[in-house]
Amino acid sequence: MLNVRPEMKVIYTSILIVFLLFLLLPMGTLLLRSFETAEGYSLTNYYNVLSNSELLTAFVNSIKISGLTAIITTILAFMIAYALNCTNIYRPLKSVIKMGILIPMLLPTITYGFAIMYSFGNQGLITQLLGKPLFDIYGFNGLLMGYVIYTLPAAFLLINNSFMYIDKKFIIVSKLMMDGSMRSFLNTIIRPMLGALGGAFVLSFILSFTDYGIPASIGGTYSVVATQLYQVMLGSIPNFNHGAVIAVLMLVPALFGVVLLNYLERFNFHYDKFSQIEMVENKIRDIILGFISIIVLMGMLSIFLVMFIAPFLTSFPYDLTVTMQHFINVFTSNDLTAVYKNSLIVAFFTTVVGIILAYSSAILNTRTGLKGRVAFDVVSMITNTLPGMVLGLSYLLLFNGSSLKGTFTIIIVCNIVHYFTTPYLMAKNSLSKMNPSWETTGGLLGDSWFKTVYRVIIPNSASTVIEMFSYYFINSMVTISGIIFLVSAQTSLVSSKIKELQHFAKFNEIFVLSLLIFFTNLIVKLICDYLQKKQSVKNF
Amino acid sequence: MKRMKWLTFLLIGLAILLAGCGGNAASGEGGQVVIYSNGDEEAIKAMEQSLNGAGYEGKYIIQSLGTSELGGKLMAEGSKIEADLVTMSSYFLESAQQQHSMFRDLGFQTHSLEEYPAFYSPVLANTGALFFNTAMIEQKGLEVPKSIKDLADPSYKGLVSIPNIMDSSTGWTLIQAIISEYGEDEGKKIMAGVIENAGPHLESSGSGSIKKVQAGEVAVGFGLRHQAVEVKKSGAPIDFIDPVEGNFSITESVAVIDKKNEKTDLALEMAEVLITDARKDLITYYPVPLYEGETVDEDNKASNNKTFSEPLTVELLEKHQSFFNSAK
Repeated sequence: MLNVRPEMKVIYTSILIVFLLFLLLPMGTLLLRSFETAEGYSLTNYYNVLSNSELLTAFVNSIKISGLTAIITTILAFMIAYALNCTNIYRPLKSVIKMGILIPMLLPTITYGFAIMYSFGNQGLITQLLGKPLFDIYGFNGLLMGYVIYTLPAAFLLINNSFMYIDKKFIIVSKLMMDGSMRSFLNTIIRPMLGALGGAFVLSFILSFTDYGIPASIGGTYSVVATQLYQVMLGSIPNFNHGAVIAVLMLVPALFGVVLLNYLERFNFHYDKFSQIEMVENKIRDIILGFISIIVLMGMLSIFLVMFIAPFLTSFPYDLTVTMQHFINVFTSNDLTAVYKNSLIVAFFTTVVGIILAYSSAILNTRTGLKGRVAFDVVSMITNTLPGMVLGLSYLLLFNGSSLKGTFTIIIVCNIVHYFTTPYLMAKNSLSKMNPSWETTGGLLGDSWFKTVYRVIIPNSASTVIEMFSYYFINSMVTISGIIFLVSAQTSLVSSKIKELQHFAKFNEIFVLSLLIFFTNLIVKLICDYLQKKQSVKNF
Repeated sequence: MKRMKWLTFLLIGLAILLAGCGGNAASGEGGQVVIYSNGDEEAIKAMEQSLNGAGYEGKYIIQSLGTSELGGKLMAEGSKIEADLVTMSSYFLESAQQQHSMFRDLGFQTHSLEEYPAFYSPVLANTGALFFNTAMIEQKGLEVPKSIKDLADPSYKGLVSIPNIMDSSTGWTLIQAIISEYGEDEGKKIMAGVIENAGPHLESSGSGSIKKVQAGEVAVGFGLRHQAVEVKKSGAPIDFIDPVEGNFSITESVAVIDKKNEKTDLALEMAEVLITDARKDLITYYPVPLYEGETVDEDNKASNNKTFSEPLTVELLEKHQSFFNSAK
């Protein structure tokens, strides 16, 4: 390990100060405020919140629907990942499925609700095609559908990723040992995948438990924790202390999740090597799984279809003449273009500063001998469990009186901290695989540490930096849970503007703005993918 | 030296994080007057047009919020609120002023028909009335109701739609009418009957009930009078009645937050524009005369205008909300 240099300590300290100010302090404030009453500190707030039947119902509802979402999502994600990794489905079809399943990630969750409304509502596109409404979309059904769409891409990525680390040769071995197909499936796929499946379950549960966008658009009278929290904080009789209690309680499932994940950790296998093999021929398996994957994908995309149709029509579904008027309205409205610009500013600064922060933390953690470098792992574990709404709320409590209130800075910082974990782990993963003696060699050749980092380390992890860019950018474009408490009239973002437009039922504007986010993200993603590919070609 | 360059680079990064973007917000749109409004789409449009017409285009930014959301902000933040100017239900302004003394006196002549406190002046008013679907009444063989009390009659079961006072201020005009005519005790029985008859047609939006009546989901409803007039004019089988209990109104007013800076002065000028210029458009959407010289169609003149005996405040609203809930 490299000797500790003063410049490392400077960077280490500055990053720690950032997390102290924008993670630990806000969390401490949140905890403190949850105990604060007019008569000093006590458990009264907790008592009041837990004895409020409306809030209790919301909690029970949230747990129920998030649990169901997590089960459905995990099963679907597993089936699709299985179809991609363990079948002989036509390759180009596999890539289409792999790409298509990630599309919802490019959109804010609040848009999902409106897409569902316009697809399955009384006058919806799919309803019209079928002739009658399939089910009541407001409340439970709509929420469940939205949550599944929202959590499926993330769960799929996780499961698909661990499929790559399974040695599929064991499938053949199992066949040779004359195992039945059920036994073979359980022992060679399910058993080594248990950790990932559990992870996907926990992830889906927490994501849907803490999302604000979907219930805000389609929750109807089915109350969930996220909307209750919003109401308590920003409703007609705001009660910040009760809001703090709800936020703290919102953390409980996340903590359970971490415990569960640690328990599941022991099920993770470590294969010595992964061999690529030809899959055993099985036409029926391929057809069934291919069919299921396509149905899931089509079902998901058909919901978003309306978004690409409705804004081009005068008044869907009543007046179906094609028009560009809605786009012209949005682009000529100062208000809406300003909001789009705001979103771009926030996403850009979040990405740039976020990458610097996460990359520096990862370098210090993996490639130096700094004492206390584990701190970054702890930070990344905390940010991983922290729902955006809770973080945003704690910023509101801490910075309400300060000059940071109502600025872009506070939104950017919130996004950086909120999404810190994944980019940090990406950087850590790639940096720890590099030859550990590069800095020493660079030093012997007379280069400073910075110079080695700049000339050797960064170029060798360019692909990862691009990946971090894409992750930070897209997530800060779509997030609403994290920023809903922090935006003001002058720092309004597209995702929060959509909520305002909802008040007037201006769905065409909502869809136009959603398309703007979608295409911005798509372009960023395509460019990043292209650059990444170019990088990997260069390196090998 | 090179080492220093990198260090500076990183520190600049942090500097951007801490200061740069804050500066962005300040230098970009910082000089604009921020207007918070609970108004409907038509109201906001009329206000924007009048402000742009008076040459204020680009000098203000309007943020629309739900009534309860904006109310919560006023109560919680007082004069620390981001807005320089608000248009909001008058009763919320009264309560916010009582609690925070946060508004500046408008200080210009408004020539309003009634007296209002010096710190606000109404921009529009909503009046409640009964309406019914003539085709449905005939089809179901029902009597045309004359009063809100009639809606409690069992023959209307499942055929009534009313706005919910918990979410809608139009709902409040209904409660005011019941309480001032019958008092709390008898009123509660009537209220219970009406709620029973409304069943699932308890609307969270003030315009919900007219939509239900127009669609033929229910036969009679209580809601915004001018909407019923408009729907009737469009040729739909709808008619309206001013109930014997009276037509009660809720006003939405403009007020300027006293921030003691130059934006407050600009906000005051804008407030005057809203009352003078925007009213010409607003009165076509919300046809209730509020100022001298304003006229409306004969149809849009409610025949039985009344006001509640106590001043409308948030506290009274909460009292009436619990009256409503206890009747459930």
